[in-house]
Amino acid sequence: MEGKSQDERYLEAVAAYGAALHRLAGAYEADPEKRRDLLQDVHLALWRSFESFDGRCSLRTWVYRVAHNAATTYVIRERRRHASPLVSLEEVGMLPDPAEGQRAADQRHSLDRLLELIQQLKPLDRQVILSYLEGLDAATTAEITGISAGNVATKIHRIKNLLAQRFHQGVRNAE
Amino acid sequence: MPNDEICNMWQGQGIGSAPFTLEEIRRKSGKFRSRIARRNFREYFVSALLVPYFGYCAWTAGSPMMQAGNGLMMAGLVYMMYQLHKRAAASAAPGDMGWKTCVAFHRAELERQRDALSGVWKWYLGPLVPGLAAIMTASCIAGFRRSARAGMLTLVSAGLVALALWWVGRLNQKAAAKIQKQIDALDAIATAA
Repeated sequence: MEGKSQDERYLEAVAAYGAALHRLAGAYEADPEKRRDLLQDVHLALWRSFESFDGRCSLRTWVYRVAHNAATTYVIRERRRHASPLVSLEEVGMLPDPAEGQRAADQRHSLDRLLELIQQLKPLDRQVILSYLEGLDAATTAEITGISAGNVATKIHRIKNLLAQRFHQGVRNAE
Repeated sequence: MPNDEICNMWQGQGIGSAPFTLEEIRRKSGKFRSRIARRNFREYFVSALLVPYFGYCAWTAGSPMMQAGNGLMMAGLVYMMYQLHKRAAASAAPGDMGWKTCVAFHRAELERQRDALSGVWKWYLGPLVPGLAAIMTASCIAGFRRSARAGMLTLVSAGLVALALWWVGRLNQKAAAKIQKQIDALDAIATAA
């Protein structure tokens, strides 16, 4: 990465992780117009961050950290305006699935339900579930979030159970 | 739906909109800087207007205590502006978002908010108290010199101002305590094996 300009680094990051950033913005903001603003905030934070990137961590870790940190700042700001409680992975498992029931299961798309589930989560759990969905391993997720790999593994175990419970339920309801 | 399929579905989402160009990002960066400058200007503007106002009041006040109160208000406002400036300058640097892990960054943001709220007496309300107290005392003395009724009315007003200050301080302390709980929860997760 040495010798590259801020713009070059940014363009390289966008080429490799642009789609992931777009999905991440979708997981943090449901409203399409606000999502575009959030995505722009994330890109701006990323571009500005490359002023001080020196390659001590991988580009992937850097990009995900900046994106999650920018999005979390956005969530904290938005929550001050429209307070809606966020829950942990443990708590969300006990909440009823908003899409439960025949009618809802028929009408709602799996992806919408997944996004709705993610948007209820506290920032750290949201970061872990998004890393899991993006296919990042536990070590990389630990490096991004700052929690231990063992803790990430525990959370991923809960995520897998939660997804199985929610999405098998959805399939059963639809049948 | 198996979990692998859920991951595939997630990663296979359509992007839907064109990516941002460097020009757009630079424009947004310029707007961001202007927004921060406007916000800082707004914060200093009211105080900057009030300082000469209290200066004028100190100059024309009839009693030494009223003069001292207005002078103290000026000093309190200048100190408040200095604190606002210091806090605005201490916000996160652009690189922090990449250097800090999500937990560390989130914790730092929460700490910043907690300190701003819990220190409200030190940097926001506190500096105005000596001036307000002197002005209220001078007003009460002047009120009682006119009539007992006028004196009592001024005293009640002073009490209401004191109550409002206490209430604002209490609300901020409560909000700070709530944030501290979030910090403790983050610490518990970060130190778990």
